[in-house]
Amino acid sequence: MTAEFRLRQAWTIARLQLRRVFFSKRSSWVYLLALFPSVPFFGHAIEVKLSQSRYASRVTAAAILESIREGDTDEEVLKTAGEPVHERKFRRGPRGEASVEYRNLIYFDGERRWFLHFEAGILQNKRSRPLIDFEDDRKVFAGVFQYFYLRLAVFFGCLGIFMNLFRGEILDKTLHFWFLAPARREVLLAGKYLAGLIAATLIFATGAALSFGLMLWPQDAVELSAFWRAQGPEHLFWYATAAAAGCVGYGSLFLAAGLLVRNPVVPAIVILFWEGINGILPAALQKFSVLYYVQSLAPIPPPMDANAPALIQLLMSPADPPSTVAAVCGLLAVTALVLWIASRSVQRIEINYGTD
Amino acid sequence: MSAPEIVFQEVSKFYGEVLGVNHVTLRIPSGITSLVGPNGSGKTTLMNLMAGLIHPDRGVITVRGLSPRDPERLMRITGYATQYDAAPRGVTGLDFVTTGLLLAGHGKQEASRRAWKSLERVGMNEAAHRKVAAYSKGMRQRVRLAVALAHDPEVLILDEPLNGLDPLVRAETIALFHEFAAQGRHVVLSSHVLQEVDVISDRVILIANGMIIAEGHVRGVREEIHEHPSQYIIRCRDASRIAALLFEQDHITQVQVHEDRLGLLVATRNQREFSRALTRISLAGHTVESVVAADENVDALYKYLIGGGR
Amino acid sequence: MAVYKRGYTRYQGALTGHWARFFVLPRFAWRRLLEQRLVVILLVAATFWPLLCAGFIYVSNHADLLLGFDQKMSAFLRIDSRFFVIFMNAQSVFAILLSAFAGPSLIAPDLANGALSLYFSRPISRVEYVLARLLVLLGMLSLVTWVPGVLLFFMQSAMAGWSWFASNWQLGVGVFFGFLLWILLVSLVAMASSAYVRWRIVAGALVLGVFFVLAGAAELTNAVLRVEWASAFNPGRAMNQIWCAMLGADPIPGPNATFCFIVVSIMAALLLFVLNRKLRPVEVVS
Ligand SMILES: Nc1ncnc2c1ncn2[C@@H]1O[C@H](COP(=O)(O)OP(=O)(O)OP(=O)(O)O)[C@@H](O)[C@H]1O
Ligand SMILES: [Mg+2]
Repeated sequence: MTAEFRLRQAWTIARLQLRRVFFSKRSSWVYLLALFPSVPFFGHAIEVKLSQSRYASRVTAAAILESIREGDTDEEVLKTAGEPVHERKFRRGPRGEASVEYRNLIYFDGERRWFLHFEAGILQNKRSRPLIDFEDDRKVFAGVFQYFYLRLAVFFGCLGIFMNLFRGEILDKTLHFWFLAPARREVLLAGKYLAGLIAATLIFATGAALSFGLMLWPQDAVELSAFWRAQGPEHLFWYATAAAAGCVGYGSLFLAAGLLVRNPVVPAIVILFWEGINGILPAALQKFSVLYYVQSLAPIPPPMDANAPALIQLLMSPADPPSTVAAVCGLLAVTALVLWIASRSVQRIEINYGTD
Repeated sequence: MSAPEIVFQEVSKFYGEVLGVNHVTLRIPSGITSLVGPNGSGKTTLMNLMAGLIHPDRGVITVRGLSPRDPERLMRITGYATQYDAAPRGVTGLDFVTTGLLLAGHGKQEASRRAWKSLERVGMNEAAHRKVAAYSKGMRQRVRLAVALAHDPEVLILDEPLNGLDPLVRAETIALFHEFAAQGRHVVLSSHVLQEVDVISDRVILIANGMIIAEGHVRGVREEIHEHPSQYIIRCRDASRIAALLFEQDHITQVQVHEDRLGLLVATRNQREFSRALTRISLAGHTVESVVAADENVDALYKYLIGGGR
Repeated sequence: MAVYKRGYTRYQGALTGHWARFFVLPRFAWRRLLEQRLVVILLVAATFWPLLCAGFIYVSNHADLLLGFDQKMSAFLRIDSRFFVIFMNAQSVFAILLSAFAGPSLIAPDLANGALSLYFSRPISRVEYVLARLLVLLGMLSLVTWVPGVLLFFMQSAMAGWSWFASNWQLGVGVFFGFLLWILLVSLVAMASSAYVRWRIVAGALVLGVFFVLAGAAELTNAVLRVEWASAFNPGRAMNQIWCAMLGADPIPGPNATFCFIVVSIMAALLLFVLNRKLRPVEVVS
């Protein structure tokens, strides 16, 4: 039996398994998880586009809006600034006392929205925000990628996909069909891992790329073409790579966990906890986590939650983000180690559909 | 090429504390061999060991010279229809058989051709496009047989293959086994019913409590089962005296006096001789209060298998 | 068969009443649940915070004597709606954990092993089966939620006197009904996920996953759209808003309680729909 024969066999196994991963009803939630962030980004884009076309006829010069002061009355404001793009009036007051009339006006100066808040006819509060802010949106995407994709979606998605490869088949009492094939157990493991990897990578990299695209869609054309000429393609590439790297790392972890542990909740919680406290561990220990390598691959570091307690912020300072090459090599090393452990245990595993 | 035999040498398998099989030594030549025994006797365990789905704690197994730890070569010549009544989710009968063949390394067209042939052999080609999960019990049984047959194996291991089949299909299936065996292949099957496999198999292996009780041709098995040591507990007044008397008999293999000196554990190879000996002893004036079979296995097993106390 | 040969007579003796039979299901389930080590550990762990709160109530009722009338300190020590909302938020986490570990073992094994057809071959209907299972969870989760909550309320009433009770009675009512709502939602999530995936263990993971992912998705939507209403889709946050309204505490910024309540009701309806779809003794394979 040559190596080539075994490779081909692994590929056959991967193909058969892929069909099950991709088209089974059971994995539909993985798609949901991967594609979900696209929905708010799409909503954001639509909202911006609609507002732009709706506001186009009622632009107020920025200088006029600048000149409005807190303490002005609503009538004065309406006279100088003209018709607002949006207006809301309501009354509210503490129980048993006379209610106060509130009034909110929104103006648009072509780029920014101005929010004016009146109480009893007097301007109390004036704020302005750009209708769309490329810089800010990119930061939001970075946050979504780091917190939702890497820590939540890829984590739980890989948990589902890769645990299913062995533990799921044991629960279904179908694992023996694979073991009755004339293939070495390592070849089977490789084939299944490959299938899971291809599926997870495709689903999550595509999901992240789609969200990225939807985030870019409503942006200003000039800014956008500048972005594409500069760091744009690079960002897209590294986001996709980081998603794929997450799948490589978490995939191998959960594949091994599915072989070694009976209850997937236990390793899930253990790994989640380990990766969660990873940021505050000594530098030497940080190297033994998937997140450490993967998050450094993303082009923008995770934005710190401003509300987090100071102590946590202090502790969270990542030791020393590895260079890209080191990150890739480190991740591959961790993966190879875990896969080696998995291949040892798949040799020993017995068909023993116990009570579950 | 070594001899085309399936060989067990001193094989033991434990599930934690529970005994699976114990000290099994067997040589199974080609032809139809039936494993017969009651529920939980270790038939499935033996078959899983042969196919490498579980590994022995002690002992060595070879299947036609191949180790079950080498599925790459073993599974090329082995087809195993397990007792697990499960199929992958949402596959049709045809998919199910084809998948097995693709895994065995056949090309797409070859796989589909063989799958059809195999389904036809078990009479399932009409239902080939329906989901396995929607099959009746007998249909699932047959489609698993088709999966085991599809790659034309030399060793066919079938766990309770006749369960749930109607009489017509049963006859066809048995004919299929004969056809296989006539080509010098191994067909190993298991059953609870000795009469059923009695007629079709070349050899029968009787198994109870994880131990091989008897093996050989069916007629031989019947005789052998009477010679198997069986154990009795005797309650009596002077245990040591009776123990001495019993031990003089050569069909007695073991005598053990209970701590309270009022009981005996006796193993005998010949039940008829044993009861005669007991009669003599009581006639000689020794009080025997009760005689209880300690392991009713062999006796009960035999009755159970043959149906009624023949 | 000839009439004179017919020996069979139907059982004519007394039967237990309908409700006695109904309670057979929860009775045995409770006993089985309490045999699980993890459940017991969680139940014990869940008493920690209520005990701490009880200590706090004690201190707050005796602090005046010790501290005199320090304004700031007495404001901090006041037992009010905020105190109870914080208490409820902490205990609600235990409700999730308990339902994740105990809930799925109620339904998933029945479905996986085809026990439903056995139940339904007794005089038990589908609705009754669901109610019985719900009752098990309700009882279990009550132990960590409103039972300690109401006990704390009465403890405070006893210590602070009639006038406190008269002006704060709605706190007790709010704690009871607020927790009941939460228990209902959590139990429905647990039952729907175990009916959906049918594996006890995976269903437990799914329960945790639902709360995790919904929270993540809600925060994400808020961040992308720069809004606050999406918090209503985070069950924990939504419930917090509802509790604040029920207990009359100052709500934290976010969607208002009515909107949250509507969203939670829709979620519950969806979960019931899943239960209804998946809880069948026989699955038709298409
Ligand atoms: N997975 C397991 N875990 C623990 N014990 C097991 C397991 N599988 C089998 N056993 C035990 O091993 C013994 C032999 O079981 P086995 O399945 O081989 O019996 P069998 O002869 O096939 O029975 P049946 O006729 O019911 O199929 C039994 O005592 C059984 O309880
Ligand atoms: Mg068996």
